[in-house]
Amino acid sequence: MEALGLLLQGFQVLLTVDKLLLMMLGLTLGVFVGVLPGLGGPNGVAILLPLTFSMDPTSAIVMLSCIYWGALFGGAITSILFNIPGEAWSVATTFDGYPMAQKGQAAEALTAAFTSSFVGSLAAVLLITFVAPSVAGFALRFGPPEFFAVYLLTFCSFVGLGREARHKIVISMTLGLLLTGIGMDTVSGQLRMTFGFTDLLRGINFLVAVIGLFGISEILLTMEERLALRGHAARISLKVVFRTWASLPRYWATLARSAVIGCWLGVTPGGAIAASFMGYNLAKRFARDKTGFGKGRIDGVLAPETAAHAAGTAALLPMLALGIPGSGTAAILLGGLMVWGLNPGPLMFVEHKEFVWGTIASMYLGNVVGLVLVLSTVPLFAAVLRVPFAAIAPMIIVSCAIGAYAIQNAMFDVWLMLGFGVLGYVFKKLDIPLAPLTLALVLGNRAEDAFRLSMIGSGGDLRVFWSNGLVGTLTTLALLLLFWPAITGLVSRAGRLVRADA
Amino acid sequence: MPNTPCRAGRCGAATAIALTTSLLGLTAGTPALAWEPQKSVEIVVAAGAGGASDQMARMLQAAIQKNDLMKQPVVVSLKGGASGAEALMYMKQGAGDPHKFVIAYSLIYTLPLAAKLPFDWRDLTPVSIVAFDQFVLWSNATKPYTDVASFTAAAKGAQPPFKIGGTGSKREDHILTVFLEKRTGAKFTYLPYKSGGEAATQLVGGHVDANVNNPSENVEVWRAGQVRALCVFDNTRIAYKSKVAADQSWNDIPTCKEKGLDIEYTMLRGIFLPGKVAPDQVAFYVDLFKKIAQTPEYKDYMEKQALKPAFLTGAEMTSFLEKDEALHKQLMTEAGFVAGTN
Amino acid sequence: MSSHDSATPPSHDGPIRSRTLVRTSTVDLITCALLLGLAALLGWDSWRTGAAWAPDGPEAGYFPFYLALLLGAASLFGMARAILSHDVITEAFLTRDQIGRVAAVFLPTLAFVLLTQVLGIYVASFLLVAGFMTVVGRIRWWISLFTAVVFSGLMFAVFEIAFNVIMPKGPLEAAFGY
Repeated sequence: MEALGLLLQGFQVLLTVDKLLLMMLGLTLGVFVGVLPGLGGPNGVAILLPLTFSMDPTSAIVMLSCIYWGALFGGAITSILFNIPGEAWSVATTFDGYPMAQKGQAAEALTAAFTSSFVGSLAAVLLITFVAPSVAGFALRFGPPEFFAVYLLTFCSFVGLGREARHKIVISMTLGLLLTGIGMDTVSGQLRMTFGFTDLLRGINFLVAVIGLFGISEILLTMEERLALRGHAARISLKVVFRTWASLPRYWATLARSAVIGCWLGVTPGGAIAASFMGYNLAKRFARDKTGFGKGRIDGVLAPETAAHAAGTAALLPMLALGIPGSGTAAILLGGLMVWGLNPGPLMFVEHKEFVWGTIASMYLGNVVGLVLVLSTVPLFAAVLRVPFAAIAPMIIVSCAIGAYAIQNAMFDVWLMLGFGVLGYVFKKLDIPLAPLTLALVLGNRAEDAFRLSMIGSGGDLRVFWSNGLVGTLTTLALLLLFWPAITGLVSRAGRLVRADA
Repeated sequence: MPNTPCRAGRCGAATAIALTTSLLGLTAGTPALAWEPQKSVEIVVAAGAGGASDQMARMLQAAIQKNDLMKQPVVVSLKGGASGAEALMYMKQGAGDPHKFVIAYSLIYTLPLAAKLPFDWRDLTPVSIVAFDQFVLWSNATKPYTDVASFTAAAKGAQPPFKIGGTGSKREDHILTVFLEKRTGAKFTYLPYKSGGEAATQLVGGHVDANVNNPSENVEVWRAGQVRALCVFDNTRIAYKSKVAADQSWNDIPTCKEKGLDIEYTMLRGIFLPGKVAPDQVAFYVDLFKKIAQTPEYKDYMEKQALKPAFLTGAEMTSFLEKDEALHKQLMTEAGFVAGTN
Repeated sequence: MSSHDSATPPSHDGPIRSRTLVRTSTVDLITCALLLGLAALLGWDSWRTGAAWAPDGPEAGYFPFYLALLLGAASLFGMARAILSHDVITEAFLTRDQIGRVAAVFLPTLAFVLLTQVLGIYVASFLLVAGFMTVVGRIRWWISLFTAVVFSGLMFAVFEIAFNVIMPKGPLEAAFGY
């Protein structure tokens, strides 16, 4: 196989002392920025990009992509130990990861998260290695209707699943969708819901909202109950790691499903976030025993982590092959590539073979080294939890404020973060779910744009969502998922009727 | 070039020290400037990550850093919110601060008109115009029309109308589309995408029939033979003569006027400081950009992006801005994009 | 539709040691009322922007307008439920003890954000960490002071010096030329 030969050459490029050192440095920095709430992958890569200008392109991309892997791993640490998602796609990891930590299974949760991240990334790298050309072509088939259908699928996989009262889910989701609409409307070029305030022009940034909703509100809730951080120290010993690994084969179906979802969604923009939510929801839907989700089930950690990392890695494929960034971080890496004089596109695989295959080889190596690195440094991050809460709490508040400010260099965002903190606190206490709100904040705008572009393109004809096999399948699947509870209800009632007749 | 990996956290500091020492050596020979930045300088980008302005900012950052043109570090801050309105308001509010500059383009005229943004470029201090963007009419390479004449003929008969993809609404791409309609008599449906890159891939995927992207936004798909360049909306052809796509150079693309389509439009790439900055501060930046224009990074970038090099400053720049603004006002009014008039 | 069938107060995981200050149903009512107000405001603005379905698809205000209607309806429903079940849900939203503890972290945070605007984030974070540790945590003052200095210094080194991230700064930083 040609791919294998090229990959071996790629490994030869990498296996030098300075490249390996860069890799370690990148991973450490990445975990660091991933742990700081709000700093995360895209900001971390953007901030560190200038450091790479003096390097050759291969070294630069090795370091930057390792920062990316590190940030992906790091996001899981805060999600599980502190209930603060460091990254948008870690939100779903908190659903079961944090309860696990509360039950004293932090080490298991972290091992599961890191290992499933590794599995997800590996699946995506294998995909990149062998099917790059054909998947690149698949991305081209996505026009506005297809994009909208994917977003619809994500939303629908969400509705009807919550245990909370329906009107609370509606409140949460509509509030998110409304807030995401503030600012400039791309389609018409009009400003809306800004009321003349300059600070509202840029709209409400998703990360600012998430830092407040999860980070600040968690501090408030923690204080309300008692003066201790409601996370638990994680001592990762080899025994725990092996015991967790031994339990993983049981969840092969969850892992495989999430990996497939991740690889598939990663190729489209915004994929990692959608993938993590979808991975979680599908694991919930297909589980034989549905109880215990949200209360600390290991497959509730495995599913979103695998999907998010598969998507995060797969997002690099359309970037390298087409120059379409599949994620915010990929978009910044794209900018970096151009600074180094490489133009991503179909021709790059031909003209810069050494670079492309060096990058792909670094995905393999970076993930292996990363897994070992995070597993061995968790005690370090977990030691933080033995420090008194009165010392940790203000530091978390400061990190949240720094994170919120750094995203757009705006003081208004720090106030906004505080506001969302109060909102999150009240909502959590009233049992209004936060997940629909965050999902709406992330995907709402894109979904609306995709819908309206579809309408402009079709002249206002809704049939465009069934105009070809791809979009038709997606839309139908989405509607099926939306009405799944009703459908299963009907089916089981029909079943009972039949039995009663017999 | 041997690369020495930086150790955690030291890298920025090390670079800063290297910059300082080399600059000390440099200033010893040249006459000292009256004013220099006292802290890190912010390049404000009025667009999202990866866009043309972002790439230019990264190039400026690299050119300044690699050639030791400034003592203080340079940071890029992306303020692409509200189609760049965020960056404009940020610059307007920063009056008197000489430690930030914005890379502006035609949004300084279009946004105040289309979105009633309380902004006027006179609120800022013009430093220099560093380049001009040209626009090209592109079509999908698999379609039968190969030149402007056959494209317009096909567009006139098309039902539903041809779709043209572009960046944003009521901006340069949209204006060009309206003018295509007026000059050809054909009807087009304009699809506003978030970026030129998206407009390019949507053209390749066949979701739109044409786009009016800048050369840089379409160069990769052009080289891959997926799109066809029909004509360039300028009075002269693009200057670059080295082969880019299979058998064509930028210079081989005819102007639209040559092909009987009388549309001319170019877009400035200008550097502005906030308002109320001192003359010696402006002088520092004018000098800085003069130096940048001589760096290999700048020249390389101009050719790669197929930008039209330019250097306008002072009164020359102001009179250009006034003329350009009047032109945009006229185009926007004719297209019905001015808020409150349509 | 009420989740509580009987009129007995819902049981708690632990005994209630402190008197109820605000009931959950009251907060529910206020929250829904506020959301209704927000929905009305955003809906009105979207109507002004244009909320019709134009020949080529929805206008800029179309989705926000109908979303605002939906949010308003859901909030009204929530309000109705909160009022109707007023006698039933007497669960405490906050007890007297709790509000004291929540205020102990919220008020310093509010002060921190205010101070950040005036003094810059590094000085404000020094004051927050030192103050919170000493007053709320009752940790010895010199440990608190030391921790705060190290923490703020570290943040400054990381963001300002190593990564060149622009952070809000005040007169103290300016005095040192930053």
